[in-house]
Amino acid sequence: MTDTSTDDEREQVSVPSEIEFPRLLDFYDLQTADQTQIHEFYDNLRAGQLTTTRCTDCEAIHFPPRIVCPECTGDALEYVDLPHDGELFAFSAVRGGLPLGLREHEVPYVVGVVDLGPVRLSGRIDDAAYSDLEIGDSVSLKIVDIDGPTDEDRVFYRFEPQ
Amino acid sequence: MTATRNVAIVGGGQTTWGERDATWKDLAQEGGKATFDAVPGVGPDDVEGLFVGAVQPERFANQTHVAPLVAELLGIEVTEMIARTELACASGQAALRYAWLAIAAGQLDVALVLGVEKMNLGREHMPEVQSSMANVLDREFDGVNGLAAPPFFAWYAQRHMHEFGTTREQLSLVAAKNKTNASRTDFAQFQSTVDPDEVTDSPEIAPPLHLYDCSGITDGAAGAILMSEEKAREVTDTAAWITGSGQSTMAGNSINNLPSFSGWPQAREASQNAYDQAGIDDPLAEIDVAEVHDCFSISEIIEYEELGFAERGEGGQFIEDGRSHLDGDVAVNPRGGLLGCGHPLGATGVSQALEITQQFQGDVTNDRQVDDAATGLIHNLSGSGSVHSVMVLDRDPQ
Ligand SMILES: CC(C)(COP(=O)(O)OP(=O)(O)OC[C@H]1O[C@@H](n2cnc3c(N)ncnc32)[C@H](O)[C@@H]1OP(=O)(O)O)[C@@H](O)C(=O)NCCC(=O)NCCS
Ligand SMILES: [Zn+2]
Repeated sequence: MTDTSTDDEREQVSVPSEIEFPRLLDFYDLQTADQTQIHEFYDNLRAGQLTTTRCTDCEAIHFPPRIVCPECTGDALEYVDLPHDGELFAFSAVRGGLPLGLREHEVPYVVGVVDLGPVRLSGRIDDAAYSDLEIGDSVSLKIVDIDGPTDEDRVFYRFEPQ
Repeated sequence: MTATRNVAIVGGGQTTWGERDATWKDLAQEGGKATFDAVPGVGPDDVEGLFVGAVQPERFANQTHVAPLVAELLGIEVTEMIARTELACASGQAALRYAWLAIAAGQLDVALVLGVEKMNLGREHMPEVQSSMANVLDREFDGVNGLAAPPFFAWYAQRHMHEFGTTREQLSLVAAKNKTNASRTDFAQFQSTVDPDEVTDSPEIAPPLHLYDCSGITDGAAGAILMSEEKAREVTDTAAWITGSGQSTMAGNSINNLPSFSGWPQAREASQNAYDQAGIDDPLAEIDVAEVHDCFSISEIIEYEELGFAERGEGGQFIEDGRSHLDGDVAVNPRGGLLGCGHPLGATGVSQALEITQQFQGDVTNDRQVDDAATGLIHNLSGSGSVHSVMVLDRDPQ
């Protein structure tokens, strides 16, 4: 090669040194009317009540909330209150294989299945160690604010021992 | 349904599995080469249909439209049918099922099924990988709770212990059996023999599950060639004939809609459908070798029950009595299962089918050869266990 071009003459292509937390790795959904048709679920939660949809045609109760009834394909759904007290049906504590965004001080965290009567849902069980819990323990719902990574006000639910 | 033409898995191959210094495209090429190398007389020019099992190339490798990418990498002009299948952990078996149906229906005679997954992005990126795994459940209401696979299956272990008295020791027996089987499998991710105490003493991941109760995060590929009877007879004397294939899905994928946390009714239904097609009345007596989805030790215990090898609630006793060992009533996971081989999601089902094929062909190392293996099955569950897939394979076409 007779050409004398060297590395320092090469053009540089730069990419940002930090990439914003990607939207697709944010576990919490956007919750407002311009984003989701189940915003009423989140509005109710923000106001302090866990609710879900009930079909006014066939009376089926759904969880997660829907916009179409999977039992009868009707779309006349109303929001009904769910109990905030329930029983622990199953639980574990996560020590390995942690998803993104969990803070160090949260590990190990307890995640369980809570039977609220009309529905059975998964949830974080706060303020409890795995070894202190038993199947059948009473737990209560609490509502938490989600801090970041978007500017929106977001809420979610968790449980704690009674 | 009844298939109209006989279809055989004639052979195939796989890459080394584990934490690989290789990209998704590297793995696809290695897996393709291993497959063609293992089946003399079949090359890229013979393939009319290509089915690629791949679960999260978008998340793990930043790549989509992967089936045509494989066609390019392996030099295959696909004349009849091309598809990528995504059914979480059952994607490999889903790809086999599409290929089977396409050949049975007379659409094509020769198919390549290739499962590929690249999951290790470096230890520092493991949380991203685990986040993607949690998306297999309803992400908005379940994944959001930090619910990746280990705690989900821990619930099943806890409930099975609670309802049926299954013991921690029985879980360890499953993991020790499979990991020890994997020590004889040259491509496996985990090749050390493990005894039951080592399972119980391994670090807690999501109690009651410990590290050795869990399958791994695995890079790997596996490929298989499927052929119509006429073509298969030209390349081999012994093949695995697909005599039954069942799949069952409940109308529920999120936690509220699961009917049981100690059993999988869909596994029972899918296997029953497959057994009916294959003419199997007594699975324990008639199945010689089974590659089942032991993503966690508890899964295999439940599968003994739902696949009809043991009564409901007696899966723990079944392993304790050694009935699923290589020399037991049904050899379960001679390859080493997901616990020993690792679990590159899209490749797992294909590798399971290859093990059964090679067992029929006497093409596995002696120390894991099942005596006179003539009838086998593969089973995969996916997501929240909402889907179960079962394929029955036989050394002779029906
Ligand atoms: C169990 C699990 C959480 C462990 O991950 P981790 O805590 O990040 O563990 P690491 O990767 O740091 O591994 C720690 C050590 O254990 C080993 N190891 C990891 N997983 C292992 C397994 N399943 N079996 C045996 N050894 C394992 C590693 O090689 C490593 O050994 P080293 O320290 O000698 O290098 C992870 O393997 C996992 O999520 N498995 C399940 C995969 C899954 O969900 N699949 C879908 C099923 S439906
Ligand atoms: Zn309805």
